[in-house]
Amino acid sequence: MEKVSTQSTADVSVPIEKNTTESRQEEVVPSVLPVESVGETIERPSRDEYEEKPVVRRVIQAPVIDEELFPESQEILIKAQPSPTGDQCMFRINRNLLEGYSWFFSGFESAEGSPFAERLFSLGDVATILVHETAFTLTREDKTIVDWKPLAIEVGKAVRELLADGGTLLSPKIIAEIPSENEIREGIQKAIDEEVNPGVAGHGGNVTLLSVTGNTVTIKMGGGCQGCSAADLTLKQGIHTTFRKYVPKVGAIYDETDHAAGLNPFFQGELNA
Amino acid sequence: MPKLNRFKIKIETGDAGMEGPVRFCINSHQVPLEDCVGSTAAGQTFEGGFEVRSFAHSLTLVGPEKGNWNIKRVQVDFEPDAIAPYSVTLGEVVLDETTELNIWKDPPQPTFDV
Repeated sequence: MEKVSTQSTADVSVPIEKNTTESRQEEVVPSVLPVESVGETIERPSRDEYEEKPVVRRVIQAPVIDEELFPESQEILIKAQPSPTGDQCMFRINRNLLEGYSWFFSGFESAEGSPFAERLFSLGDVATILVHETAFTLTREDKTIVDWKPLAIEVGKAVRELLADGGTLLSPKIIAEIPSENEIREGIQKAIDEEVNPGVAGHGGNVTLLSVTGNTVTIKMGGGCQGCSAADLTLKQGIHTTFRKYVPKVGAIYDETDHAAGLNPFFQGELNA
Repeated sequence: MPKLNRFKIKIETGDAGMEGPVRFCINSHQVPLEDCVGSTAAGQTFEGGFEVRSFAHSLTLVGPEKGNWNIKRVQVDFEPDAIAPYSVTLGEVVLDETTELNIWKDPPQPTFDV
């Protein structure tokens, strides 16, 4: 409320009745205040209070349920899903490869002790592997090839053979080395505060850490990043590199809307308190 | 983002129901759903839809004016222009007077068996 001081009746100009449009417009403006309020201070709602502001609601995400991906089967079933740009290919499998965690293999050297990764890297042309529960995503060395079918068929055959053998897929050292969620949260927050946000601030953007589950991180890109066509590229190239520099054992890094593509279908989209 | 001709929504309410009309927000404009059947009371199922015939840059389900609305499951059937219709099923979520649920999902990427 803003305080408004009233004037005496002598100071108030009363419009003279004229038969014109102008005078009719003047009449609708309150010109004379009630006598009892003259000289007193009355409270009048401010301009903001007169206007009903629309409720600003927060948009939240719900988990996508993908029940029909695989039929009930004892058989090993694998589906390949290349990205629209062809820069990566996600494989979904009706088996859990790494329950509760995700792991990023940055190259052949990082695959030591993990037959799953060693085998895929040995196919040639596989640059990186990201394993997350029932899915794994590959990028390739030759970025000019966008047709994933020939390599995907080889990948499917290799994974099926490995699973049929029943041996260890991923090194037990991987789980043992994963830091606590708190350590990951602190490291990622530091990366956001020190490098990521100062970097995207120039474009009016900001990045918020939404959750850490196991070693999987979910972030939200806001401000100028939201809806920006470069956001996907920025996220992959810049933010991923920075996060992995600060927290080398971080696994999958998702934008809160990635679950639409089925990468993290069980993400709730809420802050981890 | 394809042009959206029409969408249908089926909402299964959980323990906490909602009173009042079910509204959605398209490109920041709040609109009530059409052809509504059923209810949003606890344990009930509601169905509605809307003839969009435009490009949906954002599509959300608006939370209740008061209290919590526990949604057990949402199924959205999209009928886009020039591409095949597709459906998306969303899991449990709670909406209130400060929230709205993103119900827009891009068409699924093609997959193949390997």
